[in-house]
Amino acid sequence: MVNDEQLSTHLQELRRGTVVLACLLVLRQANYGYALLDLLEQRGFAVDANTLYPLLRRLEKQGLLTSDWNTDEARPRKFYRTSAEGEQLAETLGRDWDALDAAFRALKGRP
Amino acid sequence: MTTLTDRYVDAALRRLPGRQRGDIEKELRTAIADAVDDRVEGGGDPAAAEIEVLTGLGDPARLAAGYADRPLHLIGPALYHDYTRLLAALLATVVPAAAAGVGLVRALRGEDALTLAGDALSAAFTTAVHLVCWTTLAFAALDRLPRLRPGPARPWSVDALPARPSRRARYAELATLTVVTALFCTFVLLTPVVSTRADAAGEPIGLLSPWLWETGVVYAFLCLGVAGLGFAFARHYARWSVPLALSGALVEVAAPLTLIWLVTTERVLNPAFVTAAGWGPDTTRWIGIGLIAMSSLSLLHTITDGLGQARHR
Repeated sequence: MVNDEQLSTHLQELRRGTVVLACLLVLRQANYGYALLDLLEQRGFAVDANTLYPLLRRLEKQGLLTSDWNTDEARPRKFYRTSAEGEQLAETLGRDWDALDAAFRALKGRP
Repeated sequence: MTTLTDRYVDAALRRLPGRQRGDIEKELRTAIADAVDDRVEGGGDPAAAEIEVLTGLGDPARLAAGYADRPLHLIGPALYHDYTRLLAALLATVVPAAAAGVGLVRALRGEDALTLAGDALSAAFTTAVHLVCWTTLAFAALDRLPRLRPGPARPWSVDALPARPSRRARYAELATLTVVTALFCTFVLLTPVVSTRADAAGEPIGLLSPWLWETGVVYAFLCLGVAGLGFAFARHYARWSVPLALSGALVEVAAPLTLIWLVTTERVLNPAFVTAAGWGPDTTRWIGIGLIAMSSLSLLHTITDGLGQARHR
């Protein structure tokens, strides 16, 4: 039987890239750090805050997200939004995910 | 009043480059405050909520490394194999060479065996420490500054596979080495009792200096020879490893060094035998030069062999 530590490593490996795709899709509507964390969790993508926040900046640096500071409220918030490039990547990654999903289904269908 | 959040943000920012700090500080503080508010609205205690949120964020050093996109290792997987290979090759060759060089200089100066061995060992240790330290530093720098890397790494091909010596050749090599070692030991041990020359009382005059037996150096020397044979077997039957290669190289270096030292201090031939045989000073000198040349060749072979072995790992 797989022990807890191995299980969590395997799950982590499997989910590693999915957060990027989820972010790119969710951020078609501009959003900020904590609300995004909450939203992703509601939509079934559990991600740690200390993974998500640096990831957002990395994606921004790569030009996949754009950002704007909103200073209308008491707390200044940095809103991220998926860029055109990010949209393209999301499409590519999404297709890959669908292909993988189809491949898995085919595998599981045959005993 | 400094809050836990202040201390947390400070700890994270301290590890970030200055130009990123302002932006990240604002965002991080907002994110922490939002998370705390969320928990307080749910009926939590503000102080407990703050602790919970900061604990969830984890070690600020890790968070900062994530923001700065900094690796959390010294030498990453891309370079690790090149690093261990180069280090092994350097250790297996430069260390014995340094020890041999220092030992040779000391022997030529006519130092005693203890000083010689001590200096050679300390030279070996210092060299090893320097090699490890500087190689590691260089690779850690390469890992952080990809611009410094000399082009893309050569792709691996099957040509890089080490050749497999045939079993028969290996056995023949080992058998020859065993026979030669046994004959040499027998010859050396028999020289005091079997000789072509005899003194006035009819007792044989040994070819080799009696000093070798009085001090026990001859036994130490033969032990080195037998140990060298042992390492030759170990190399064929055990897996190659840095400790095995290093200790083998040390033993193989020690024997020729001892011989060079004995020749330079004129402790090989028995003066009584030289006189009885009527050898001139030229003959003894040439014997000495021959022994030193043989020892030097053996040293050179150990070094090149060690280099070749290490390169193929």
